[in-house]
Amino acid sequence: MSIPPDDTDITTAGTSSAATRLLGTLAVVGVAWLVAFGLLFSPADRDQRESVRIMYVHVPSAWLAYLAFIVTAGASALYLFRAAHSLVWDRLAGASAEVGVVFMGITLLTGMLWGRLSWGVFWTWDARLTTTAFLFVTYVGYLAVRRLGGTHQQRARRSAAVALLGVLEIPLVHFSVRLWRNLHQESTVARPDGDVKMDGLMLFSLVVGLVAFTLLYVWLVIHRQRALVLEDAAEDHGLEQALSDRRAEAALPGGR
Amino acid sequence: MDLTPRTAPEAAAPSTRRRWVPLLVLGLVVAAGGVLVARFLTSAVDYYCNVDEIGERAGCEKGRSLRVQGTVEDGTIERTDGTTSFVISFNDEELPVRYEGEPGGIFEECIPVVVHGRIEDDGVLRGTRVEVKHSEEYVDENAERLDDAVDRSGAEQCSPPA
Repeated sequence: MSIPPDDTDITTAGTSSAATRLLGTLAVVGVAWLVAFGLLFSPADRDQRESVRIMYVHVPSAWLAYLAFIVTAGASALYLFRAAHSLVWDRLAGASAEVGVVFMGITLLTGMLWGRLSWGVFWTWDARLTTTAFLFVTYVGYLAVRRLGGTHQQRARRSAAVALLGVLEIPLVHFSVRLWRNLHQESTVARPDGDVKMDGLMLFSLVVGLVAFTLLYVWLVIHRQRALVLEDAAEDHGLEQALSDRRAEAALPGGR
Repeated sequence: MDLTPRTAPEAAAPSTRRRWVPLLVLGLVVAAGGVLVARFLTSAVDYYCNVDEIGERAGCEKGRSLRVQGTVEDGTIERTDGTTSFVISFNDEELPVRYEGEPGGIFEECIPVVVHGRIEDDGVLRGTRVEVKHSEEYVDENAERLDDAVDRSGAEQCSPPA
C-alpha cells in the first residue's frame, strides 16, 4: 500500500475505523484507571510523600518513548532492507517517532517537576538527564530530516538512516544510571537482579500506567500513520494535477 | 511541453517555507546537542566522590570543586541566619557541610544528598548546591511508620547507603 485506492476522496477520508474507535475507548478507560490508581488508591511514599505520584506518568512515558523509537528503527530497517522499499514502513517509522517525541517531552517535563520536588532542583547535568535530553533532541532532528523535501522514497531512505543511528542511544540512556555515578536513582523495576523494591499497590499503579500509555501509543500511531498516507496522497495528487495542467497547456494551440 | 518550474509567488511560497523550517530546526538541534554535551562535560570535570573517598581517590582532593555524596546524619541539621549546616557520612566517614540557603526537595535527616562545592582548609565543605538523592526503593508511608516505630526504638543513627 503506497497511496489509497484511486477512488479515495482525500478531502473527506478519515483515519478512524471500528478497531481504532474500540482502541481509543480502551485507552481512555486505561487513563481513567491510571488517574484513579495514581491519585487515589496508591499510597504516598515514605520519603517523597505525594510527589511520588508523578512517577505513574514519568516512568510509563519514558518506556513508551523507548518503545516508539525502537519501533521507528525496526520499521526503518524493514523499509531499507526489504526489496519492496514499501512506504508503509516509512510512514509507520515517522508516526511512531512523532508520538515518541511527545512521550519523551512528557518524560522530561514530569522529570523536572519531580526533580524539583524531591531533589530540590529542576535540572542537573548528570548522565541520565543529559542522555535523555540528547535522545529527545535527536528525534526532533529526525522529524526535521523527514521534512527536508524530495520524493517520498528519498525522505524514507534519509530518515531510515537517521533512525537506525538514533536508536543506538537508547541503551546508553537506559544504562547511564549504572555506567556513571548519578543523582538519578537506579532502575526499580527493569533491573537485572529482579529484586523490585516497590510497594505492591505502587507497582500495580505503574503497570496500569504502562498499559494505558501503550494503548494510547498504538491508537495515536495508527491514526497518525493513516494521516500520513493521506498527506502523501495529497502531495502526489498535487503533483499529478500540476503535470496534467502542463499537458493541457502544451496541447493548446501555440503551446510549447 | 514546458517543464521548467513555475516562479509565480503563490507557487513559491509554500515550498520555500517548507524548506526553511526543517533546516532551521536541524540547525537548532545540532546547536542544542552541542550545548548538552558541553554542559555535561563541564559538569563532569567536578568529580563525584563519596565522603570516604575524600583525599583517597584521585580527583577527590580538598580545595577543588567536587560533588560529594553522603547521608545527612541524624540530629546534625542546624539553621542559623539563612545558613544550613549539617554533617554527611558515607561508610562511617563524616564531613561537615555549610550551605548558604535552605536545601529544597525532601531534604531531611537520614537522607542521601549530593553537595556541590569545595572543601576549605578548615575541613568544612562549602556547598554551592545541595541535591537530595533518593533511592530506588518505594515504600508505603504508613507501612513504614510501623516498621520505624520498631526499628528506631533502640537505634538513633541512620544507616549509610550500601
